[in-house]
Amino acid sequence: MLRFFILVAALVSVSTVQADTIEMKVNGLVCGFCARGIEKTLRRNPATADVYVSLEDKLVAVALHEGQDIPDAELAKEIADAGYTVTDIQRTATPIADIRARLEQDAE
Amino acid sequence: MYRSKARLPAALALAAMAASPMAYGKPIAYAHGTTVMAEYGADTMSEFQVFYAPRYFFSAGAGYLRLERETDGSTHEIAYARLNYLVKRWNLPDAQANVFAWGGAGGANVDDGSDEFAWNTGVQIDYETRRVYLSAKTDYYDSPDFSHRIDTLQLGLAPYEHDYEDLATWFVVQARDYTGGIHDGIEWALLLRLFKGGTWVEAGATTDGKFQAMLMFNF
Repeated sequence: MLRFFILVAALVSVSTVQADTIEMKVNGLVCGFCARGIEKTLRRNPATADVYVSLEDKLVAVALHEGQDIPDAELAKEIADAGYTVTDIQRTATPIADIRARLEQDAE
Repeated sequence: MYRSKARLPAALALAAMAASPMAYGKPIAYAHGTTVMAEYGADTMSEFQVFYAPRYFFSAGAGYLRLERETDGSTHEIAYARLNYLVKRWNLPDAQANVFAWGGAGGANVDDGSDEFAWNTGVQIDYETRRVYLSAKTDYYDSPDFSHRIDTLQLGLAPYEHDYEDLATWFVVQARDYTGGIHDGIEWALLLRLFKGGTWVEAGATTDGKFQAMLMFNF
């Protein structure tokens, strides 16, 4: 019985590690053209489903297609290729729409 | 006289027809982006540029510049191919600073109708936050018949911090100095700059009441 619970817990743990969205903190994000350049670069990646950029939070969020991922090194290179600097990368299961709603609520 | 007040509608039409973020923005907008820009500058200059940036630090394209001498009304028209290069960028948590340089070559048409080889070069340094914009730019044009340098300083202040999908609003004070008899003394201008998405619109007037405008599209 104990083994069963451990197995279930492990499965739950694995499922929560599965990232739907990647959140990146980016330096140099000060204008709409900056955001546009980053969005355009990230959308060229086949794993990208959607992109959200917040200048206020210096945040770039990438929604991934199901079952796909973009390694951190590749993300950092893509942001660098757009002309900006990544300072932090976090993975989350939170949908990009929820991140957007949360940040817009925080801004109010 | 070439400084007719009736030029305002023509200037508006020119600005509307043309379009870019180059003259007062940055000569490279973003990687894989195309920039189209048109500027009308207070009866003394008109410029049109098209650039494509394969990388964030490099763009190539072409432009046309028409300069009109304040002293005698004579004109110089310069068509050129140009390369723009981002020499250095500083990405800070709340700011960005850049050094750009460019160079190009082409042909110039002067008042007697003759065509000459002309080349140009320039440098821009800028610093930008979401509330403050500072830039200094120098543009130099040379041919066997003339040489002009156009130095431009801009200070921009935003009344609010815009976000990506918001309309950005800036109030810009500009000081511009022309060499080669284009304009006598420093030309001061107050401009309203608006941009959203890939569109940039800027318009205002010099202290002697002359219209100035720029349109730019990035896509």
